[in-house]
Amino acid sequence: MSGFTAFARKEAREILGTWRIGVLPGIVLFFAVTGPVLAELTPQLLGTLAADQFEGLALPTPTFQGSYGQWIKNLSGIVVFALIIVYGGVVSAERKSGTAVLVLTKPVSRTAFVLAKAVVHSAFLPVLVILGTLVTWGLTAVIFGQSPGSTLWSASFAWLVLGVLFVALMMLLSVLLGSAAGAAGAGLGAYVLVSVAAIWEPLGTYSPAALTKVPSALLAGDDVAVLWPVATSLALAFALFALAALVFRRSEL
Amino acid sequence: MSAAIRTTGLTKVYGDERALDSVDLHVEEGSVFGFLGPNGAGKTTTLHILAGLARPTSGSASVLGRDVATADNAVREQIGFLPDVPGFYEWMRAEEFLRFVGDLFGIARPVLDARVEMLLDVAGLGGVDTKIGGYSRGMKQRLGVAQALINAPRLLLLDEPTSALDPMGRKQVLDMLMSLRGHTTVFFSTHILADVERVCDTVAILDQGRVVAQAPIDELKARYGQQKVVVEVIGGADEFAEQVKRQSWAAAVSREGVDTIEITVTDMSAAQRQIPAMIAAAELGLSRMDAGEMGLEEVFVDLVSGGRS
Repeated sequence: MSGFTAFARKEAREILGTWRIGVLPGIVLFFAVTGPVLAELTPQLLGTLAADQFEGLALPTPTFQGSYGQWIKNLSGIVVFALIIVYGGVVSAERKSGTAVLVLTKPVSRTAFVLAKAVVHSAFLPVLVILGTLVTWGLTAVIFGQSPGSTLWSASFAWLVLGVLFVALMMLLSVLLGSAAGAAGAGLGAYVLVSVAAIWEPLGTYSPAALTKVPSALLAGDDVAVLWPVATSLALAFALFALAALVFRRSEL
Repeated sequence: MSAAIRTTGLTKVYGDERALDSVDLHVEEGSVFGFLGPNGAGKTTTLHILAGLARPTSGSASVLGRDVATADNAVREQIGFLPDVPGFYEWMRAEEFLRFVGDLFGIARPVLDARVEMLLDVAGLGGVDTKIGGYSRGMKQRLGVAQALINAPRLLLLDEPTSALDPMGRKQVLDMLMSLRGHTTVFFSTHILADVERVCDTVAILDQGRVVAQAPIDELKARYGQQKVVVEVIGGADEFAEQVKRQSWAAAVSREGVDTIEITVTDMSAAQRQIPAMIAAAELGLSRMDAGEMGLEEVFVDLVSGGRS
């Protein structure tokens, strides 16, 4: 077994054996379960609790689109924030605790250290998204009686690319900044910037910034260009992982 | 004999602070080398450079014949390293951790099984089933020593390996280091002088980033260690001390108590012949006369404090 494989296996076991299994999957599954239920119950709850205020206003009938909308809205908001916070210490926590020193004095290069983390966590995210989407899809079918798959899956996969991009960004920030909180703060700032950048049409069409609005547009059935933002996001993610490895190689422990 | 470690003019500067100042070291293969120095002398910085964790500002360092700047996995495969405060994945158990480290080295399963069992035993962690997060500092230190040995290294770099250990743990680790003599080069930093005197062949003393002495222990003591005579007389100690000060072989005279005089001598045989004669001539009583060399501790204190005066 090579140093890369052994370290990647440790990363995977760490996801399963520590709090990370509770945080991100917990959040994703919570929203996957509550999205369809809330989509069904929200109009009824509003009607019951504030009937006198909405007198004369026809509340919309709950549909599967509402359920899908909840899922994508939560992915694009709270799940991104959770991902940024969880991955803020992906490298810096190992430096701080001294585990990086023990590993990097063995036959594991700094590049292998960063890339093993990149591979494992970029593979972990699709598992979460597929699991969450399956739950949303199934519950929507049960509650609403219909749940067409193509728009839901294409919107989820478009978000997944954005998620991988943020894993890559957090990897770099965690290498650059010594503190997990500092990296998380910078990551949240970057997310705000990307969301604002999407307002300008060229960036909102071709750049990774477009992926902050593409999932919702796909759900709505809008004709949006997906290939460009996906391609530029994946290219940027690779570049960020490579930059993280390069910076880590040059840093002192 | 070839050098397992060689540094030439090794210098490391952090901002305005010169952590290492032109350090020259030569550690022979197969030796047990003690790297002594007070806290903040630059021992950990030196070890970090040798382990490839930090880069020198100037000068060069090589381990096992390879410059540390270009040392790759082939070199790391032959090195065992224990940092001063080892960090572990606290969710693992000791056996899991040793297997993980063994896998990083690509050690074949049957060999790894045997080594893990043996090292857990040596570390006194065989049968301990709690996670590493629940270990005491001493247990972590022993696990740290065990992981540094998993690859049967040619060069073992240890940063303060006994500092967190109780007397039994210290003895076990030191015995283990002594047993490696001849097969493995052991380079360990410490400020515990008794450990160095017990296990090392050669020692370097580092103070404020500079090597102030480097030699085999016996040579170091002979070179820097002066010989002393302690005399306890009955009555007239003050007059006798004054008389001794006038002798050519007495480098220094100090009082240890009312009747006890400590004399640093330059010629032991002359002192041993003349002191009893002087006492007899002065008609004093002699209740004790001890002669001996300065220990490593006195050499260390002398060299380190000498550099500061």
